[in-house]
Amino acid sequence: MSTWAIPLDVMLFELRRSFTVGRSALWFVLVAFPVGILTAVSMIARLRLGEEYTAALLEERFGMAMYFLIPEVTCLLGLLLWATPAISTEVEGQTWVYLAMRSKGRISVLLGKYLTAVTWTLSAAITAVTLSCVAIGWEIGSNLWAVLCLLALLSCVAHAALYVVIGAVFYRRTMIAAVTYTMVVEYFVSFIPALVNQITINYRLRGILIQWKDWDTATTPAQAILGSDSIAMHMTVLAVMTILLLAFATHRVQRTEYPTQQEG
Amino acid sequence: MIELSGVTKLYGRVIGVNDLCITLPTAGYGLIGPNGSGKTTLISLLIGHLRPTLGQVQVFGVDPGRDRSVLRRIGLCPASDVLYPNVSALEWVTYQVRLHGFPRRDCDPLARTALATVGMTAAMNRPMGTYSLGMRQRTKIAQAIAHQPDLLILDEPYNGLDPVGRADMTRVLQDWTQAGRGLIFASHVLQEIESVTMSFLLIQGGRLLASGTADEIDQLLLGQPMKIVVKGPDVRDLLSRLAEVRWVDSLELKRDRESLAISVNDAGELYRALPAWVSENESRIEELSSPDGDLSALFESLLKQHRGETV
Repeated sequence: MSTWAIPLDVMLFELRRSFTVGRSALWFVLVAFPVGILTAVSMIARLRLGEEYTAALLEERFGMAMYFLIPEVTCLLGLLLWATPAISTEVEGQTWVYLAMRSKGRISVLLGKYLTAVTWTLSAAITAVTLSCVAIGWEIGSNLWAVLCLLALLSCVAHAALYVVIGAVFYRRTMIAAVTYTMVVEYFVSFIPALVNQITINYRLRGILIQWKDWDTATTPAQAILGSDSIAMHMTVLAVMTILLLAFATHRVQRTEYPTQQEG
Repeated sequence: MIELSGVTKLYGRVIGVNDLCITLPTAGYGLIGPNGSGKTTLISLLIGHLRPTLGQVQVFGVDPGRDRSVLRRIGLCPASDVLYPNVSALEWVTYQVRLHGFPRRDCDPLARTALATVGMTAAMNRPMGTYSLGMRQRTKIAQAIAHQPDLLILDEPYNGLDPVGRADMTRVLQDWTQAGRGLIFASHVLQEIESVTMSFLLIQGGRLLASGTADEIDQLLLGQPMKIVVKGPDVRDLLSRLAEVRWVDSLELKRDRESLAISVNDAGELYRALPAWVSENESRIEELSSPDGDLSALFESLLKQHRGETV
């Protein structure tokens, strides 16, 4: 029996029912937001620098800007909308009881919604990366496209796991919990030059970007913030974090007695 | 089919169900109780959605909270409504069947069969957001029976159904029990359940107060203290006779002199004696009613008995 494929069917079901005007508009906003900013910055740079403008001169700055705008902002916004409320929307909509009483329901729905969040957000992120690379000029965009797509993928996979855990634990006020965690840990703690920032996902993603592109000017003054581990180490830590987070989320969903809001 | 051993469920300091002990062989049962009586908590325990604070729940010999594979043998139609407005009934029921682990190729035929059983074939491809309450109710029942469970649990399944829909569903449920499969039908309306099964479980305040057939419940009603109102121009003729019997607690003749409220500690005695008195006196009695002779009175009486407040 193809039970391993049930999360994929959950993902297809969720993606099909997500084709609404509101969800589609959000997707376009997530794509347009970084592309618009990078297009504006690129145009201003060309105007200001005039004939001095060379693509190579700005590759590192554009690369960092694209990294912050897409894997750190676009991906997190998309995942906040999709992964965080994975359980709470069903609990609040009183549909959780239908899913929870299926023999494969709880885990399949959680993993299916996780895959949905990754797929939906990653599609927006890769589209945004591609259009941004075109906007800043393909001569440097072509150098950045692969690494930023990989970082978007890693960001989606790891952050989505983090957000489903938050969603599974805080099924009430889920978004507040997720936004607070993101602001405090992923944006603030990840910049603290101490051991504590190494447990954040963004620290690992920045480290991969810097190591991959070998950007010394960025690395030297801020090594404690950007990390000096190898790419393999960063990716291993991200993989372990993702697996542990997903394992905890599935355990939590299996054990938690979520309210059905119809106790009688 | 179901075995509950000292099952208690606490929500913090609030009792959901209290010390339930019962063994139910495979059959149809009506679970009757007013709103807030613990019906849904009991159902949630049976599907493993809640784990008991004390005691043990076994369905088909398995604890559903620990071994979720048993859920494939259970179908549930909860009281809550479905809220996937842009999904069709066929798509939703197919999805629900798939979540039980059925192979993809089997899910669609099972969903179509179930939707046909509840009379939803014509509308099954329309988005559920366009459905009436009755159509959504039928769809909910379809998702409960689609995977062909051995035990069907229905929580207020007639909500929103028109008389035709109720008749259709009654027929479906009668066929279900006649096929030898298990059914738990939760409602606070006795008549809804009577049309499907004659075995009842009475629950109130989280306690299982009584169980038995409709006749046995009638007997329970007869044996309970209750207030009966007799109306007619000659009700005063009954006063002297009623004043002499021991099973009358109080008598109250209303101002219109044509209405007599009788508090009895055994309604059966009154029902047995009254026809003879009326006949002997040639009295005209136009109406006999029991304002609190409904289920809530029965529940109250049973609860008092349970607490040891009445003998």
